[in-house]
Amino acid sequence: MRIVKTIFGWFDRRYNLTPLIEKNVTKKRVPKTLGWAACFGGLSLLIFLVQVFTGVLLLMYYKPDPANAWDSVTFIKSNVSMGWLVQRIHTVSANLMIVMVLMHMARIAYYKVYRSPRELHWVSGVVLLMLTLILAFTGYLLPWTQLSYWGAKVGTEIPSAIPVIGEDIVRWVRRGEAISGETLGFFFALHIWIIPATISAFMAMHFAMIRRTGISRPL
Amino acid sequence: MSCDKTCEQHNGRRTFCRACIGAMTAASAAMVAYPVASFVTSQPSRIGEGKPLEIPLDQLVQGQARYEAYRGLQVIILATADGPHVFSASCPHLGCAVNWVSSDAQFHCPCHGAVFGSDGGVVSGPVNEPLKPIPFEVKDGKIIISV
Ligand code: HEM
Ligand code: FES
Repeated sequence: MRIVKTIFGWFDRRYNLTPLIEKNVTKKRVPKTLGWAACFGGLSLLIFLVQVFTGVLLLMYYKPDPANAWDSVTFIKSNVSMGWLVQRIHTVSANLMIVMVLMHMARIAYYKVYRSPRELHWVSGVVLLMLTLILAFTGYLLPWTQLSYWGAKVGTEIPSAIPVIGEDIVRWVRRGEAISGETLGFFFALHIWIIPATISAFMAMHFAMIRRTGISRPL
Repeated sequence: MSCDKTCEQHNGRRTFCRACIGAMTAASAAMVAYPVASFVTSQPSRIGEGKPLEIPLDQLVQGQARYEAYRGLQVIILATADGPHVFSASCPHLGCAVNWVSSDAQFHCPCHGAVFGSDGGVVSGPVNEPLKPIPFEVKDGKIIISV
């Protein structure tokens, strides 16, 4: 404990951190009437961070091509020490993240927090929901199992309902006519980098807006 | 400043709570640190190294395929008239395990219907690659796979 204090003190003397921390964390005041339902946004963020962390670990052994994907996941689960745990946390948390985001959204809808001046909180939130779903969907293909394959096939079929350009979108998402190694590579890029980067940007906006307006004050 | 009786009690309680929180924090940190450290430092490619797969030739029946697990792969040892063949059972299309159909002397993939000959070559189906051959040697009447 003392060593933590000493190190913190060193920085604090130079950068005067205490007032910052007090203002934003330890002495930050939130409305008394804010209930437990207000924790789901924070939990969504926490799970996202868990996903980033376990995802980076999985990347050390995962191989994104049709010949090796399934083998590499099996390898992680059965040969890498603690691999089963890391892999399982990543899968379970993917589902939990969706649940948390939906619970968070339900609270916002129930208390009608989306009204002025918080309309754009809601809009950025809907984008976050979409991105969360895409994150889960692209991740589902990566282990390259039968379920992944058919899940991706059915999922990528959805845009075909759009008139005129639907079929082109399907081909674009699949990187060709059918689910193939190209699809896997594309989904991999989306899953490990493009979507997480985009979601981080939207979260930053979401949080900045909440800081500006302050959290809503339920009755 | 002097400390009266209640204040001392208060301090004792506070120290106790601090210690508990500290211990729980340390335990949680260890619960994260241990799996992460062991995951990151694991050298799994060494697992199973030096353990070749050995199959006595006299256990093979001509025209029959034998399926074995080898280092996370499923391998097929097929005894044919011109000697044994060893393949990876994973279909080069999308990786399903192919079945040996002895009445046709062909491998059939259950997923999208690829068919391979007894030499592993493509007969029909959505593939243009043969079954992956696995190198092996024959020594002392045994097939030895050690790649
Ligand atoms: C990745 C997903 C998301 C994360 C990490 C996230 C995070 C957060 C956090 C930490 C807060 C602070 C208050 C609280 O937790 O309730 C918040 C507030 C808010 N969120 Fe989200 N959110 C996400 C998705 C959404 C979605 C899907 C919506 C709705 C469509 C939404 C709409 C809002 C609104 C309107 C507020 C303001 C609440 C208030 O002022 O009381 N968010 N969000
Ligand atoms: S996986 Fe064998 S034919 Fe598709």
